[in-house]
Amino acid sequence: MFKAKRRLVLLAAAALAGTALAVVLLSGWASGGNSGVTDVAGSTSAVLYSVGHRPLAPDFTASTLTGSRLSFSSYRGRVVVLNFWGSWCAPCRQEAPTLAVVAEQYRQAGVAFLGVDVRDTTASALAFVHDYGIPYPSVNDSGSEITLDFTAVVPIAGTPTTLVIDRTGHIAGAVFGTATYAELSDILARVTGKAGTS
Amino acid sequence: MTDVRAPESGPSGPPPAERDERGRGGPGRSADPAAGAFGLADWLRWAWRQLTSMRIALILLFLLALASVPGSIVPQESTNPAGVQQYFTAHPALAPWLSRLGLFNVFGAPWFAATYVLLFASLVGCVVPRTFRLVGSARTLPPRAPRHLTRLPRSARYATTLPPDQATEVAARLLAGRGFRLRRPVNGDSDGHWVSAEKGYLREVGNLLFHLALLGVLVAVALGGLFGYKTDRLLVQGTTFADTQSDLDEIYPGRLVTAADYPPFTITLNRFEASYITSGAQRGQPLSFDARISYTAQPGGPTRTDNLQVNRPLSVDGAKVYLIGHGYAPVFKVTDARGQVVYDQATPFISGSSGNFLSEGVVKVSGAQPEQLGFSGVFVPTAVEVNGVLESAFPAADNPAVSLIAYAGNLGLNNGVPQSVYQIDTAGMRQLTAQPQLLLPGQSLKLPDGQGTIAFTGYVPWVSLQITHDPGQIPALICGMAALGGLLLSFMVRRRRVFVRALAGGPAHLGGPEQGSTVQVGGLARTDASGGFDEEFASLAAELRAAHEQAAASQHEGE
Repeated sequence: MFKAKRRLVLLAAAALAGTALAVVLLSGWASGGNSGVTDVAGSTSAVLYSVGHRPLAPDFTASTLTGSRLSFSSYRGRVVVLNFWGSWCAPCRQEAPTLAVVAEQYRQAGVAFLGVDVRDTTASALAFVHDYGIPYPSVNDSGSEITLDFTAVVPIAGTPTTLVIDRTGHIAGAVFGTATYAELSDILARVTGKAGTS
Repeated sequence: MTDVRAPESGPSGPPPAERDERGRGGPGRSADPAAGAFGLADWLRWAWRQLTSMRIALILLFLLALASVPGSIVPQESTNPAGVQQYFTAHPALAPWLSRLGLFNVFGAPWFAATYVLLFASLVGCVVPRTFRLVGSARTLPPRAPRHLTRLPRSARYATTLPPDQATEVAARLLAGRGFRLRRPVNGDSDGHWVSAEKGYLREVGNLLFHLALLGVLVAVALGGLFGYKTDRLLVQGTTFADTQSDLDEIYPGRLVTAADYPPFTITLNRFEASYITSGAQRGQPLSFDARISYTAQPGGPTRTDNLQVNRPLSVDGAKVYLIGHGYAPVFKVTDARGQVVYDQATPFISGSSGNFLSEGVVKVSGAQPEQLGFSGVFVPTAVEVNGVLESAFPAADNPAVSLIAYAGNLGLNNGVPQSVYQIDTAGMRQLTAQPQLLLPGQSLKLPDGQGTIAFTGYVPWVSLQITHDPGQIPALICGMAALGGLLLSFMVRRRRVFVRALAGGPAHLGGPEQGSTVQVGGLARTDASGGFDEEFASLAAELRAAHEQAAASQHEGE
């Protein structure tokens, strides 16, 4: 009789331990192993994907802020910096001067910059572009459809997010959050193999 | 844990199987910490037994309820961060201590987690062994027939000309035909001819179902907590949003929810209509809300249309989209000092508690030159002036108006700190207009010193949507219903036993002791809350007697 009681206690304990183990394993599995990803410039919010682990960037066609149509596939063969931003987004204002400077510095190296203006209106966005002297075009993504497509391949949690896309159209690096000059120029130097020229 | 088994009744005392069962898990503990030589294993076993007792489970449940109380008294970081800041300002001495105790984030505090983990362990530890015990109980054979059946609560006695072995055989056949589980003496038993029969094992099945379903409810709740989420999005008529982390307003994810778990649908609000009662005491009460949307379940997928109404959500890709609120977004067009249009959009204003959709909002014109412009304002759908104060007389937009205060200076956005779109930080700004300025649709306000103009060009409605996913909801419902069904079954079905014993030697007038036998029938219901066993036993005894008489008669005919 006593033996049976102990067996039940053991069974219950085992069931409980099993549940706890499952939860731990599941949470470990959910956070995932990140192979092929290295941090950039000592920052965990900037990453570089090694060749073979670079997700293919989805294509899109959208209107620019000035009203013309733009196809992302027309950039194939060039390194592209894709910046997700909005005029309402305070961190985007903080990084805008940096982006404008880096865009000028890498113009010679053939790097194209393209903005994706998220959840915004044309009037406010154009004022932003004018204020910060942004030298590159932006496409309208007021309904976040482009963002959604990209979220399927990189974990975009919000604006700003900056992606660096290599010459084959694969995402080679990313900055999640406000991009600093060090992070951006480090990723670009490695992807293009060149330093920026001022 | 409620024990749905009622205590034993009946003067015969618990049969052997019962005694064993009670020894395993009942309240009569043999091990007592005060009893002497007590090792670590014994202490652990004692602690586990205490944890899984009903008393501790109830105490933990009470503690959990008690622990939730500060969550509704003290403002919480997760739902009201501004309230927490105000609390810190209002109670500079007390607030740091409350913060150290985790009272500003009760549901994330370690002591709260400890309480519910203990409660969970207590429930699981209570239910699992009980389940095993019930499986055993549902499989046990009835006990051997007592020697003196006349001492049972119900009994009958009659004579038959059949010999004892045939008499018990006839009784066994009849009882088996009535759905009883039987036990007969095995070879070598020397205590005569008898049949034990028991019915009502469905009660144990119900009991088992109840306990398994309770475990199921716990698992379902855990599933919902780990993999479920709730998000909010405000959507202005004529605009589109995508169900992705960067495009949602508020996100309350479960423990194991990642950004990739939100289904990639998009929703466009084509048109929103609300209607209200226009007369009588109920004037202003809503009649109907109707949000016409078009949506795509997958990027590049087909566009479908639907109508969202209160309690009529859209189901898409495992998530449910509920219409939970609505309001007005006045459209403003701002021209700066250079003559550039730097702002032209519908701006959602949020209605407070003042009723009739008197709504407040802000306009932040960060691109205005030479200085940034800001406006804080009030929108009223049906404007009336009461003692010089702007109020709203009706929730529908019958006479819409806005009242604005204009500011110029630094909005504080450029340092990169995210701001609420519903609040304006005027610390770096100066007020341009001394009084709030009233504008009707189509009217504009010229700002002083040639700073520009703001035009109130119209308004559009907005809706707030709540997107929820709870993988535990359906399992919890099914388990809840199963638990109720099991409980009903265990209450309504009674377990009852009938014993038949045939003793050699009938009364003399039936042909002498050698010929016949005396049949004793005894019955007992283990729980008879709903009554009815007396009648059942009486008719069963009569049937047995009739069967014996018939068997005896056919035997006589055959002779």
